[in-house]
Amino acid sequence: MRHLLASAALIALVSTAGSAAGPKLTSAQRDATHAMFEHIIDIPTVIGRHNVPEEAQYVADQFKAGGFPAEDIHVLPYHTESATTGADETAALIVRWRAAGPTSKKPILLMGHMDVVEAKVEDSTTDPFKMVERDGYYYGRGTIDMKDGITAITQAMINLKAAGFRPKRDIVVLFTGDEETNGIGARKGATEWLDLLGHPEYGLNADGGGCGLNVDGSLAGCGMQTAEKTFAGYTFTVRNRGGHSSKPRKDNAIYSLAHALDKLEAYRFTPKLNETTRAYFTAKAAMDKTALGDAERKWLAHPNDGEAADFIEASESEVGLTRTRCVPTRLFGGHADNALPQLATAMINCRIFPGEDPNAVKAELETLVNDPTVVVTRNDDYVASLASPLRPDVTAAFTVAVHALHPGMPIFPEMSTGASDARPFRVAGIPIYGTNGAWVQVPTDFRAHGKDERIPVQSLYDNVVHWQLMLKDLAGK
Amino acid sequence: MRRLVAIALALCSTSAIAATDPRTVPTRLSSEWQAKTRELFKQAIEIPSVHNRGETHRVAELLAGQFRTAGIPDSDIHIMPYEALPGDNTVALIVRWRSPHATKKPMLILGHMDVVEAKRSDWKYDPFVFREEGGYFYGRGTSDMKNGDVATTMAAVKLISEGFKPDRDIIFFYSGDEETRGVGATLGSTKWRNLTDAEFGLNADGGCPSYDEQFRPLGCGISMAEKTFQTYFFTTHNPGGHSSRPRPDNAIYDLADALKKVQAYRFQPMQNEVTRAYFAERAKQEGNSQLGQEIRAWLANPNDGKAADAIEANPLEVGFTRTRCVATMLQAGHADNALPQSATATVNCRIFPGVQPTDVQAELQKLVGPNVEVKPDPNYIGVPTPASPLRPDVLAAVTSAVHKVVDPRMDIYPEMSTGASDGSFFRAQGIPVYDIDGSWGISPIDERAHGLDERIPVRAMYDDVLYWEMIIRSLAG
Repeated sequence: MRHLLASAALIALVSTAGSAAGPKLTSAQRDATHAMFEHIIDIPTVIGRHNVPEEAQYVADQFKAGGFPAEDIHVLPYHTESATTGADETAALIVRWRAAGPTSKKPILLMGHMDVVEAKVEDSTTDPFKMVERDGYYYGRGTIDMKDGITAITQAMINLKAAGFRPKRDIVVLFTGDEETNGIGARKGATEWLDLLGHPEYGLNADGGGCGLNVDGSLAGCGMQTAEKTFAGYTFTVRNRGGHSSKPRKDNAIYSLAHALDKLEAYRFTPKLNETTRAYFTAKAAMDKTALGDAERKWLAHPNDGEAADFIEASESEVGLTRTRCVPTRLFGGHADNALPQLATAMINCRIFPGEDPNAVKAELETLVNDPTVVVTRNDDYVASLASPLRPDVTAAFTVAVHALHPGMPIFPEMSTGASDARPFRVAGIPIYGTNGAWVQVPTDFRAHGKDERIPVQSLYDNVVHWQLMLKDLAGK
Repeated sequence: MRRLVAIALALCSTSAIAATDPRTVPTRLSSEWQAKTRELFKQAIEIPSVHNRGETHRVAELLAGQFRTAGIPDSDIHIMPYEALPGDNTVALIVRWRSPHATKKPMLILGHMDVVEAKRSDWKYDPFVFREEGGYFYGRGTSDMKNGDVATTMAAVKLISEGFKPDRDIIFFYSGDEETRGVGATLGSTKWRNLTDAEFGLNADGGCPSYDEQFRPLGCGISMAEKTFQTYFFTTHNPGGHSSRPRPDNAIYDLADALKKVQAYRFQPMQNEVTRAYFAERAKQEGNSQLGQEIRAWLANPNDGKAADAIEANPLEVGFTRTRCVATMLQAGHADNALPQSATATVNCRIFPGVQPTDVQAELQKLVGPNVEVKPDPNYIGVPTPASPLRPDVLAAVTSAVHKVVDPRMDIYPEMSTGASDGSFFRAQGIPVYDIDGSWGISPIDERAHGLDERIPVRAMYDDVLYWEMIIRSLAG
């Protein structure tokens, strides 16, 4: 699930001489990057199509050809399945680049996922699994979510190794095969494969972060993702004796559910700030002279100012960033059109503020509904996701890399409202930072999961440079 | 579709005699015929003749076998295949028991072999496994209406075995889709009229006598008019989006608002000849009770909406004073993590005779506003039907049989059915139909048609065979 900069187009910004002003790849490096990108875009790594192992092997072969020893490259097949997403035999790839000498520091983890969301030929302008270059873009499923990141990390490591770079601590790569569906690879990574990963100190996730340029070429900003909300599903269930619909009863499962949903519609959870969102809103407020900026300044000064927080939450660009949000997504009820319903259910999808316990949200929903006939249950056993503390070294490395390519680019720490592979690691105490360096035009290129997904041609190559800069900084000292 | 008992609290409260539990009174059906009845009932209940399951033909074959064994020639037994809901291939059974010396036009006995869906997970026991417990037979169809199928068939078999010769042809017509579309009754009253044409019809769908929980007889309403059945679909639409970013508008919330309006809404009260006769009888029974006073006030002044509302709110009189609509089913959304793009509620209406379903649609549309689409179920467009004239011979036969078999204290009176049944199609085609089944129950605890743990008192099942035997003797003997 690719997180893209949400705050983008609203901010007035300094104009720039243009992107990609800084260091560039050699033409041989560009060719290698292009070849790898095209090869993996053309592999439809959608759940159920059994193609992820092929891609994992291909990427592994690139590392081998780049001089990484075979014993440090592991293609790990695994099974992924759930009731709603289907099943697949998929695979993860782990590559360890060992430190040149003895070190007391634990490894840096580099993360990504090789699977993509379904894309249908009939819904796309051209075959989404045949990469095409057109109008300065590469088109294809996975071009921004996130085979750009897989390519960039792989090519950056190969280029650094070829250039003689010797890391002072281990760099370990984990590319999973089911982030878009079940996230089993990430869970294994944070548990049974943790020894293989060398118990990393922290992780850099190419499935987060990223930069935006406005349509007029001005800089929208880059986000560094340091927190994500916890995904949790709940069910409201109402049962009733039912009976014949010609004789309506006073109590009715569907009406009871409608009243519960009405309360949910009006309800707002308590606004909250954490380190990430405080930094995010601080950076935003500093640049925003509109009413939204005023509300942000007020809220930062008075975190108990619920009115200011509500104003921010109601803004289309900030939805979900000030608190836990829950919304009904599905309804089921009744068994025949001429019978009073015996059962009515609503699926409630919640995105919980980092650190809040999903069980506490369940209790809050029960209190809100305040109707003993409406039973609230959890649909999963996810635990609270945590925010990663802002590390000065990572923030500095990201800032330096971004500014090398985009001088003057504003940088925001970000909390994602979606869920990603980062969660099980954060839960296990390993902080994860979304630090990808690809840039897109906002909002026209926000096409992850959508139609005609694309990346600017130059952005693909800039991202390789971005990861080279990050790794030299963080693993070279 | 089982018509429910309405009348109540009949007797004067000065009676000091402890009432006898009618369930404990022994049946007068011989043990030999009890065994035959029980076996046929068990076999019928255990065939899950729910729409789309393709099982209804087995019920037809089961009943046909009874008539055949009793001596009805194959040439007078017709199993008629037809399509009900699209793709639901079902059958009707038409049996003609010929009179050797007919002096009157034929008499039609109506029933249906299909049942409403019942989910194993909703019931205490498997709804399609026949059970006897605590003086009841349990299972889907025990009261709606395999009891009537078995009682009418068994009464004929018993009379034939005793050498009874009817003085008019008796036609048994059992349809296979009364609970869904009524195609069988439509065909039976039109295309198959050469096999079914009759002076009048007796419908075994729904017993008329009942008791309250203090075992006081509540009387027996013979349905001669019925409300028009019409289902509407309420649909809301929305662009949807990702559930991590809830929009201010939501298809589910919009639908919930509409359903709350339907819940609170009351249609204009109305009276007709049949309901006036019914309420006149009820006023006599109620004496000076609160309900009795309200009924008298409304009969005296049909514009007294307050009195009509009070009557409608009484659980015994639900549906008799006006059109009623109730939400019966819900369906919304397409994924747990996506905002719903549409939400649909099924709203089932029982429309007062003479009111056009298109007028009710317009009234509902006005109620919920233009953002909710209100459309009739295209599979079934209700047609208002005329009331049947009260025949003295039918009234006399029912009165005598109820008093002899069930309880001499039961009052017999005309009634408007709030449900629709196969009778409506024959009424619409000029054959008067009277709903007169003799099975009884305790109101409201045994009113479980279409609901959970459907049941019938054991004695009521056995007595119904005797009841139909008497009805046939008196109207065709």
